[in-house]
Amino acid sequence: MIDLFIALSPLLTVGFGGLLLMLAEALGKPANNTGMSPDGAVVVDAGAGRSEELGLLATVILFSGAASSMGVWLADPATLGVELVSPWLQVDRYSLFFSFILCISGGLCTLLGGGYLEEHKIDRGEFFTLVVFSTVGAIALGFAGDLLTVFVALETMSLGVYCMIGLRRSSPRAGEAALKYFLLGSFAAAIMMFGAALLYAATGHTDLAGIGAFVGGLGGEASGETAMVIVGMLLMLIGMAFKISAVPFHMWAPDAYEGAPTPTTSFMAAAVKTAAFAVLLRILLIAFGDPRLMSWGAGWPPVMACLSVLSMTIANVIAGRQSSVKRMLAYSSISHAGYLLMGVCAAMRLPEEASASVMFYLAGYCISTIGAFGALILCGSRGKEAVSYADLAGIGRRHPAAAAAFALFVISLAGMPPTAGFFGKLYVFRATIDAELYSLAIIGLLNSIVGAYYYMKVLVFMYMREPIPGAPIAIPMRSSMVVSALIIAAALVVAIGVLPGALLEMAAVAAAALS
Amino acid sequence: MTPGSALFIVSAVLCLAGAVTTVVSRSPVRAAMGLLGTILGIALLFLKLRAEFLSAIQLIVYAGAVVVLFVFVIMLLGTDAGSEPESEARSKIAPPLAGGMFLAFATALFGLLGGAIKTPTAFTVPSPDHGTIEAVGTEMFQNTLVPFELTTALLIVAVVGAIAVGRGRQGQKPNQRVIKNPQDFYVGPVMERDNVSQPEPKESV
Repeated sequence: MIDLFIALSPLLTVGFGGLLLMLAEALGKPANNTGMSPDGAVVVDAGAGRSEELGLLATVILFSGAASSMGVWLADPATLGVELVSPWLQVDRYSLFFSFILCISGGLCTLLGGGYLEEHKIDRGEFFTLVVFSTVGAIALGFAGDLLTVFVALETMSLGVYCMIGLRRSSPRAGEAALKYFLLGSFAAAIMMFGAALLYAATGHTDLAGIGAFVGGLGGEASGETAMVIVGMLLMLIGMAFKISAVPFHMWAPDAYEGAPTPTTSFMAAAVKTAAFAVLLRILLIAFGDPRLMSWGAGWPPVMACLSVLSMTIANVIAGRQSSVKRMLAYSSISHAGYLLMGVCAAMRLPEEASASVMFYLAGYCISTIGAFGALILCGSRGKEAVSYADLAGIGRRHPAAAAAFALFVISLAGMPPTAGFFGKLYVFRATIDAELYSLAIIGLLNSIVGAYYYMKVLVFMYMREPIPGAPIAIPMRSSMVVSALIIAAALVVAIGVLPGALLEMAAVAAAALS
Repeated sequence: MTPGSALFIVSAVLCLAGAVTTVVSRSPVRAAMGLLGTILGIALLFLKLRAEFLSAIQLIVYAGAVVVLFVFVIMLLGTDAGSEPESEARSKIAPPLAGGMFLAFATALFGLLGGAIKTPTAFTVPSPDHGTIEAVGTEMFQNTLVPFELTTALLIVAVVGAIAVGRGRQGQKPNQRVIKNPQDFYVGPVMERDNVSQPEPKESV
């Protein structure tokens, strides 16, 4: 029994850590002893003015979640009596790899939040609790091996994110973003639920392995069950395409990303997308891993290929025309979903190599995108967030450190060596070519060239432009937490970029655990 | 037609009519009543499936608590809250396009599922105690304990999120109400006995 708790320790560490965080918020020392703020107002807000310490505690909790994922990975989860919670939660190296990435991403986002919330006057303790519990949902989504746990975990993750977007109550744009994401997200969850119901009706199973076994035994002729399985599968895929914001289910993403407080945006772009890819790969390979459903003629690969091509092309074209950097990064995250879907597509022929490449890409992408949003946070300060290209003009000369960090993450997102993004793209393209999906790989290559244009635009503005005389100049904020988040992210981006072998090997081991 | 299928048709029609009313009607009260119809229909469907306990829970929780809560909120805000004048800039193409796509999708769905409906999956016959409190309890706290425990995280997120979103507006200096004396906690008409230090009542938030 104790073995089982050890095996589940990533989930339990973060979950109980979240409870601890809530206690610390409620019982900790108030902002001042009298319950009155300096101007005599009554403070009715437990977490106010303490976002730095709460953020630090949340970061420690999430990083220890990452450490315990690594510990369980090393202890070999298969020996820890995990069949007791199977099929609800599948504790294997695949899910541990994802829980590691998710905990690191969540921890970096809480570090960013610790600096950002105070600077922008929304220092509310709930933010950190929401990040931690959303991460619990995301980790559980990576673990989930049954449609029931998939749904509960997905809702846990999403509900927290909806509320994190709407945290800034004074901004109508944040309200719009939260409502838009909430409505479309609930709609997507309902569509996914409908798909799950059809799958259960057709197969009599909710666990992914059971569905996979039933689908494998269906035989070739067109029967009622086959039709129901295909419709159910498509509805499930639509639900997940919403979460990974693939075109044409991306309409909410730019508005939600732009309206949300930037630490929330980075959490959405990194953790939510990673968890959705974790469950997408598991569902496709376990439940729909039947050779016929994995074939080009009658299965999910053409659907994934269409989503991939549309996401890459449309997002890249629109991203190039944005004047807001935050919105550009939102479209860039949609286009990254396209590259990742290309790898998912390649899993039809080479399940292990392609999933390993997708997992490697996700690790590099998460850290780079959190770093890019973090650098954007650093470039703005109180009352003036740096969001447009014009705000960044001349930052390279005035604040070289901030600009250098931004440049590193943007280069990684663009996929240039020696960064994590380069090897992520390399491995995904290699898997696509090995799977003989040549036209898909060519479209992907062309798109990454188009993508380089708008990433380079950031560099051009930072280093080669001067601000228009008289325009308000964004002054970078000072926050040790944001800076430390950027240093950690930059170290990881460079480390993965210089020594990609170790991480790729881990991803390969993890992918082998999936099949 | 057996009584069972008659019950199914009645409850299905009630569900769908309620759902359409909820979406289409402009008056919030009518929408809430449409929701009530859907919930009643689902409770009937549970009865048809011999899940008496779930049916009762559906009535108590949804019809009894959730819809009443909705009606309370509508009462608090006034029935015309949220209804806005018809905007001129409404798209002419979008509604027919959405409707057409929905119809196409529904046709494709039923076309594909047509064969399946004729030959439904043969599920095992439920045990005699199917749908009783004991059976539901065993299922929930024994067989599906893990997802049940996972819902605790969902509920915590919901509560914390509700606090995060529902709590007053912060960081908005111009309109922010800074409460300097306890008397200002009273929103609404200031009574004679509250009106000690400040002569004129504050305007409500």
